[in-house]
Amino acid sequence: MITFSLNGDSVSFTGDPNTPLLWVIRDEFKLKGSKFGCGAGLCGACTMHLDGSAIKTCVLPVAAAADKAVTTIEGLGNPEALHPLQSAWVEHNVPQCGYCQSGQIMAAAALIAEKPGASGDDIDQAMSGNICRCGCYPRIKAAILSVAGSALGYDATAVEARS
Amino acid sequence: MSNQTLSRRHFLKTSGLIGGGVVVAVALPGCAFQGPHPIEVADSGFVPNAFLQITPDNNVIFYCPSDEMGQGIRTGLATIVGEELDVDPATMLVKAAGSHEDYNNPEFGVQGTGGSNAVRVFYEPLRQVGADTRALLLNAASLELGIPSDQLRTDRGFVIVGDNRYPYGDFVETASTLEMPVASPLKAPSDFQYIGADAPRIDALAKATGTASFGIDADLPGMVYAVVVRPPVAGSKALKYDDSAARVAPGVQAIVPVSSGIAVIAEGYWQANQAAKKLTVVWEENALSAVTSQQVRRDLKTALDADDDTESTHEGDPDKAFAAADMILETDYYAPFLAHAPMEPLNATLHITEDGAELWTGVQFVGAAQGVLERLTGLPRGDIKIHNQFLGGGFGRRATLSHIVEVAEIAMSIDKPVQLLWSREDDLRHGFYRPAAMMKIKATTDEEGRVTAWQARRSGANITAQTMKNALPGVLPSMPTSLLNGLVGVMDYVFDNWAVDGSSVEGLHETYSLPSYRVSHASVDHGLPTTFWRSVGHSYTSFAVESMMDELAEARQIDPVALRLKNLEGKPRMQNVVAQAGKLMADMSVPETHHLGFAAHSSFGTDVAQIAEVSVTNGNIRVHKVTCVVDCGLAVNPDIVRAQLEGAVMFALTATLYGQIDLDGGAVVQSNFHNYPILRMNESPAVDVVIINSDTPPTGIGEPGVPPLAPAVANAVYRATGQRLRDLPLQLT
Ligand code: FES
Ligand code: FES
Repeated sequence: MITFSLNGDSVSFTGDPNTPLLWVIRDEFKLKGSKFGCGAGLCGACTMHLDGSAIKTCVLPVAAAADKAVTTIEGLGNPEALHPLQSAWVEHNVPQCGYCQSGQIMAAAALIAEKPGASGDDIDQAMSGNICRCGCYPRIKAAILSVAGSALGYDATAVEARS
Repeated sequence: MSNQTLSRRHFLKTSGLIGGGVVVAVALPGCAFQGPHPIEVADSGFVPNAFLQITPDNNVIFYCPSDEMGQGIRTGLATIVGEELDVDPATMLVKAAGSHEDYNNPEFGVQGTGGSNAVRVFYEPLRQVGADTRALLLNAASLELGIPSDQLRTDRGFVIVGDNRYPYGDFVETASTLEMPVASPLKAPSDFQYIGADAPRIDALAKATGTASFGIDADLPGMVYAVVVRPPVAGSKALKYDDSAARVAPGVQAIVPVSSGIAVIAEGYWQANQAAKKLTVVWEENALSAVTSQQVRRDLKTALDADDDTESTHEGDPDKAFAAADMILETDYYAPFLAHAPMEPLNATLHITEDGAELWTGVQFVGAAQGVLERLTGLPRGDIKIHNQFLGGGFGRRATLSHIVEVAEIAMSIDKPVQLLWSREDDLRHGFYRPAAMMKIKATTDEEGRVTAWQARRSGANITAQTMKNALPGVLPSMPTSLLNGLVGVMDYVFDNWAVDGSSVEGLHETYSLPSYRVSHASVDHGLPTTFWRSVGHSYTSFAVESMMDELAEARQIDPVALRLKNLEGKPRMQNVVAQAGKLMADMSVPETHHLGFAAHSSFGTDVAQIAEVSVTNGNIRVHKVTCVVDCGLAVNPDIVRAQLEGAVMFALTATLYGQIDLDGGAVVQSNFHNYPILRMNESPAVDVVIINSDTPPTGIGEPGVPPLAPAVANAVYRATGQRLRDLPLQLT
């Protein structure tokens, strides 16, 4: 049996420990916000946080999550209590088909948590593992930039000083 | 009545709905619907068969007839109906319409989304729906309040009398007893408050929080999962298979042959996916089995060199003009097969019970999906419900129905709800593709750069006949299979021998005013399935035409924009777009190592010009910025127009730099994003969009941003390197 924390709740899974975390979250725990895009770690649609780091869960055996904290898009925020990135996504009209966006936001949230004042280059680097077939990149970038240095208590003047 | 235009000759109906408010149904021109509307109230709420529902507590629900695949159509159509209804679209609840002929696309005659036509074809009818419904509510309010309706106003979902505001919902009960007004006056565009203004997408919040529901998210109690092992070569059949290892793999419930391959059904998707790898199948060989990409290219070229193509259209006498020419360019351009690769792999969830069938999926042709189920299950159409979800990308891929056929065959073999899921490998290897195209353009101009003769020929597979093959069983569910096959055979024969499939050659001459031209076609089909791919024929014809325009400008030593303008007499809209874009380009200052390329193309009623800013380092092409000028008539939501052009640029740039589906032994080589790369953020250009101010009715926007990009980049690469690249994807040698 594999036990881990899922969005703050302790859960356990008794199936095949090689099952990728993505399918355990979607089909066992019925959280459908994380998506399947390639199953090969190439697109980022399945991105979640494992102990705070962005990770592609379609190639991560659930066993690797044992005793760790898994956060999905549902745990990041919800329509009533949005994460600042989610507000920025709405403000910038980012999504088109929307299918990649949970993964995009999770990747961005890990970046912002680690580097609150992320620059354009930081964003390019951190987000290049996430494909958006609809091509929302300019807006994804603008939305992240609007949060970088403005939210989470970050001091914007430090960004200016650096750039 | 007699002087009403066809598009206004629709009628509206109302119907009381206990507890559910007033429902407005509209029959659009060309629809067969005449009788009373079959309105149902289910536990889950209203089962839709109409566009608008207004509840007593003043919620306005709009049932959107077009499928949302990212193009923003739910927001766009809600804006159109909300404008005349006088309800802020942002406050409406917008739902996907169920399947009913009242939702038929007026131009297609079936319920479907494609061809960038939704805003154009629903613009007037949905305004009328909004206006007539508002008039009905005013009549009801007038009765209840005892005030003549011409003394009442409306404002954002309220009827206004002096200082009093009454919610629309107060009047729905009375409204449901009244006759629906017809042909109520529409607003003057100068009075619009929502149409033409930037506004948030209605689906942005759901999509930013992971709460938007896609087909893949359907989850029914007791549901099992299916994957299908398909032949490496399209259309080949299993001669024999060994499932002894797969059958005993964990979670496996059944293994059943279906018409496209062998289905493995298991408790979980992962289990089905793992078990499928244990299946060994011997596939038959077919005509496609020996085909390689090199052969396709060769055959397409041979077909044009043979010179026996079928004429599509001509004007004047190009041969005479060529005979008199002092300079003739004749050049081949090539574009390969492409896959759509929508982000959400194909899937469908079907539950068949004694009472009927329910399908959760995302398709561009809801009516045809329903027809497929009707044909295969034998259930009456009324007992088949389609819950069309958000589409995780379409681009034409979800206009096909093979996954609906598969899920029906699987569900009929097992007494449980079943979800069929394609992997990315399935998607890339077993798809329907944008056909490869060889184009030979022969052209000449006078000394000022005015084209005097133009000959454009294309060889390759057609789309329409193949797509119809796929769609007809669903569109004509009761036609016997033998007759269907006959019909398809006739279509193939016609396109091979007499007529040209318009979508194969579209865009080869239409952008410009050419005094003499001939467009012709040679059908060469190796058997790889083809279908519409965002912008269809325009996706390759623009590459040939707009590369040639630059080649002509070079030959005549004329500025490429000036040459285009000379050939746009009589096309004032495109002339303006090109002139505006040309001005922007002339004023651009770019670093010395960056070069600009220009292209313009008309498609789906919309005119687009693009300027690509490109640099080339060590043979690597980098696109830094793309500036788009677009005239799409009135932009219903300018921010969505901008987003569609941004997205189209990225989609087209993927094809321009990387896109290539190869065949080896008839099988598709590419399998996932490592060898079918999609443009990533670190490679993506900035995009500037200039929308020409217009109050003419809206035209398409989902596709027209795609065609000009490849030639704009190729033209810039030529300026940067002196190499004229005539094959897509662009690769420097
Ligand atoms: S689905 Fe996990 S990276 Fe693509
Ligand atoms: S919004 Fe469609 S894939 Fe990103």
